[in-house]
This record gives sequence, structure tokens and C-alpha cells, in this order.
Amino acid sequence: MPAICVQHLRKAYGDLHAVDDVTFDVERGEVFALLGPNGAGKTTCIEIFEGFLRRDGGDVTVLGVDPGQRHEQRWLRTRIGVVLQELAVESFFTVRQVLERNAGFYPAPRPVDEVIELVGLREKADDKIKKLSGGQQRRLDVGLGIIGNPELLFLDEPTTGLDPAARRTTWELIRTLSSEGTTVLLSSHYMDEVEALAQRVAVLARGQIVASGSPTSLGGRDQGQVTVRFQLPHDVAVTDLPIAPSHVDGANIEFNTDDEVVVLNRLTHWALEHNFALAGLSVTRETLEDVYLALTHQSADPSEEALHE
Amino acid sequence: MSERTDTSAHRSFAVADVRLVTHQVRYEQMAFWINRIGAVFTVGFSVIFLVMLGASAGNSRISYLGNIKLVQYYVPAFVAYGVMSACFQMLAINLVIRRETGLLKRLRLSPLPTWVLLVSIFVSTMIVALVQVVLLLAIGRYGYAVPFPQSWAAFVVVLIVGIVSFSAMGVAMSTLVPNQESAGPVTSVVFFVLLFLSGLWFPLKANSGLAKFSNYFPVHHFIEAVAAPFNLQPGVSVWAWHDLLVVAIWGVAAFVVALRKFRWAPRRS
Repeated sequence: MPAICVQHLRKAYGDLHAVDDVTFDVERGEVFALLGPNGAGKTTCIEIFEGFLRRDGGDVTVLGVDPGQRHEQRWLRTRIGVVLQELAVESFFTVRQVLERNAGFYPAPRPVDEVIELVGLREKADDKIKKLSGGQQRRLDVGLGIIGNPELLFLDEPTTGLDPAARRTTWELIRTLSSEGTTVLLSSHYMDEVEALAQRVAVLARGQIVASGSPTSLGGRDQGQVTVRFQLPHDVAVTDLPIAPSHVDGANIEFNTDDEVVVLNRLTHWALEHNFALAGLSVTRETLEDVYLALTHQSADPSEEALHE
Repeated sequence: MSERTDTSAHRSFAVADVRLVTHQVRYEQMAFWINRIGAVFTVGFSVIFLVMLGASAGNSRISYLGNIKLVQYYVPAFVAYGVMSACFQMLAINLVIRRETGLLKRLRLSPLPTWVLLVSIFVSTMIVALVQVVLLLAIGRYGYAVPFPQSWAAFVVVLIVGIVSFSAMGVAMSTLVPNQESAGPVTSVVFFVLLFLSGLWFPLKANSGLAKFSNYFPVHHFIEAVAAPFNLQPGVSVWAWHDLLVVAIWGVAAFVVALRKFRWAPRRS
């Protein structure tokens, strides 16, 4: 049975359809990412899975139980871990005190020292939380999320606001947890984060899933066109090129192709033969960011789109 | 991995819950005493007020109150202050800050049962109130020769009604305060204005305009109810039923507001 099974999930706030007919599964042991801009419905989905919000429609099971059922919530909360955005922790406690307190809530918690070690806060274990840096506090958040030794971990934008080094450390931690068999549901609006961590991703925009798959294949990205760019040497005309370019902008030449091997072969052969340099030669595939922007834009409200034009 | 193991798991939860209350109360108490502001405003204020006012004005006599010494009035008055400060002022501020910063939501998402959290907060509040009661009675008795209450039974009943009612008012107050910045100022202004109008520093003359006004609020009645068991004036009952009833009615009304308006998540989200 999947760790999370979602079918036709709906949730509205007044007229706003925060989650509108969302269906997906998260398999046990995988890192699954919900990717989308702010307000796309990621947090709403996660809070429904945690049993914090009530859904308006559809079916949800988390670890085999319905999180909307009150009598299931207690059991469920001993098996899941939650790392939410912007939740404070008592800043006058030390790292160890707050972990020890929360460990007491669970029937079989992870040893406090093991968690401190895992999140890399050994040096800071007896410091007050208010003395920690932003990255260290975020790692403590993750520590509080895993203190109950969860089967399933919810990470709502775990690296938002962190500096690049702190983000890498948090990624490593998530990889470690995943390798131990913890299922992770991650939300993010960072494309590189999803690419680095997730086996599967669903892109949410305006409450709906607009694409899903592996990060490398998202939106047909692995089969999409490749762009080859370089700058034309001064004394060469565009018409001298062995193949016709797709775009010309002054000296900037661009080829869009499905078969980059052939294009490159002909271009480099030609350049060597005439002893030209291909300044600034680059070969790029659509980035996940391009795909993401295209996907979330496509789903934009048509009336609003008209306004932008 | 694990599948749900029905009713036996639920039963073992129930047994462990009692231990969980002790666990959580311990951390609630640590939070209160480490976080010194709360301790200063409640325990510090009530003790310092009694010591200072007792030393400076304690020996004056109150002509309209059976010619008793002012300090005889101050001991029950500051016992009342201590209870109200812990249960109303501190609890309200504490709950607003915990709600708005997400501390309540975080606990709500942990397996700590809601009732264990609420009971722990209440027990911790009660401990702070009782610590003050003991300190104030001792300072009164050994510092200013004010006798202990004549009726302990009446005194304990008043404390129970007061702690429960003012805690309900504290929770209700927390639901009326929109954000953490205004939690301290709003709650404290409401509290200190009521204290001033209700005769904390100077006992109100019966039938004065101020007494008629403050009769609508619970603070004056609670001070009177705490004073009664000390039997300051011979011939007056140690049971101030009328005052207790007014406090209890406020408590019940506040409880209804608290039940309807209480929220776990910050307002901003």
C-alpha cells in the first residue's frame, strides 16, 4: 500500500479553490516533491495529510488511515514527522531540552543524542535556541520532525530562507533519512532542490496538478529540443554556415534541434576546416525551471493572462 | 511497516497519558521560570507590592472597614492579585504568543493529546498561583502579623473557584487579542484598570460610585471573596457566596467564549 494515497482531493476557502481535484500516490520509501509557486496549494495539501485541516471532498489515506478521522489522528501522529514553515520553538530552551520534551510525546522516540548528531547540532546541544543561526534552527526543526522516528516525514519548504551552504547540509540530511527508509513528502519552490532530492515530482498550480513524473522527464523535458548557441566570427556571413540557424541576433547564432549530435558535428567540422573559433559555444537542454515556468504559466487564469499582455 | 493495532494501542495510550501530563507540566514550569518576565509580573509583583505597601502604609486604619489595619486588607487583596495575574494576565499573554508564533500549532501536530496539553497548561498556571498564595500568606503572617484565614475550607473553595474562573477568562481574553505585539499591552491595561477600579490598593467604600461600577466586573468580587475567610470584621460570614457567584458567572461566560473562539494556528496564515 502506498504511504499516501490521494484521490480527487478538494479544499476551498470561500470562493478560492485552494486544492481542486488533486490525485496522486506517494510510494513507501521514496522522496516525493510537490513543486509549485506560493499559493499553489502545497501547504494546504500537506496540512490535510497531517489531519490539521479538514478536506471538502475526495479520499485521502496516510499510512493506511484517513487523517480526517479524529480517532485515527493520535496513532497517525506517532508515525509521522512534520517540519512546517515558520513554526517557532521555545527560544529560551536549549536544543537538548526541547528535543527531550518532544521525545516524551512518542511511544518509541529516537534517542535524543542520535538526533542531535544526525542534524549536526552536537556543538550546540546545550545552547539556548535563540543563539542558533537560521540554518541551525531549521536543522533543529528537522530534528523535531524526526524525534518520533517517523515512517513518513512531511517537509514544507525545508530550505526556504537558508544560505547555500545550509541548504546543502539540509539536503544531505534528507538523503540520509531517505536512505534509512523514511518516506519523505517535500514541498518546494526551488527547482534545483527537487532535482537533487526527489524521485518523483508533481507540479501544482492554482490547486491543480499540471504535470507529474520524475524530475528528469517532467513535461517531456528529456525528449525536448536542445539549443546550441555560439557567436559568429567577424568575417563570416550567416549564409556561410553549413546549416541554417533557427535564430540570428547580430553575431549570436542559435540552433534549436532534436538532434544535437548531427548539428554539432557539422558545425565543428566546418569550424576546424576553416580555422574559425566558435566563441561562447553552449549546448543546453530545457532546465526544470523552464519546464516549471511554462507549466505553471499555462495553467494561469486566462483573464489574468490577458491583463499581463 | 507497522499497521494499526487497534484497541489495545488506544488503551495503552490512556495509561501513558497521565505520565505525559507530569512530563508536560515539568516543561511548562521550566518555561515559566526560565522566561523571567512572567515570573516578575506575577510572583515578583505580588510579593513586592505586599512588602512595600505593608511597610509604608500597613499600619493606617480603615475607618469604613471596622477600623482594621490596611495590611490586613492587603494580604487577601494581593492573594487575589496573584491568582488573577497568573490565571488571567499571564495565561492570556502566554496563549497569544504561543498561538501567533506557531508554538500551539506545533504541539497540536505532535501526538501530545489536546487534553493533556490543556490540562498541563492549567496545572502549571495553578502551581504559579499557589506558590504566590503560600508566599503571601507567609509574608503576611510572619512579616506583618496578619493571621492566616480563619476558615481554611472557605479559603480553599474561593481559590478553586477563582483559579478556574480566571483561567477561563485568561483563555477567553487570548482569543480577543489579534497579535503577539499587543498581547502584553492590551491584557495588562485591561487588567490594571480593573484592578485600580476594584480596590486593590484602597478598599472601596460600599455604595460609592466606583463600587457600583466595579460590581459589574469579577475583580472586585474576587478580592472580597478572598478577604471573607480572613474574617476581618467580626460577625461577617467567611463565605462570600454572592461574590463567588459573580466570579463563577464570569468564568462560565468566558468558558463559552473560549470554546467557541479558541484557535491553534496563527491568525496571519
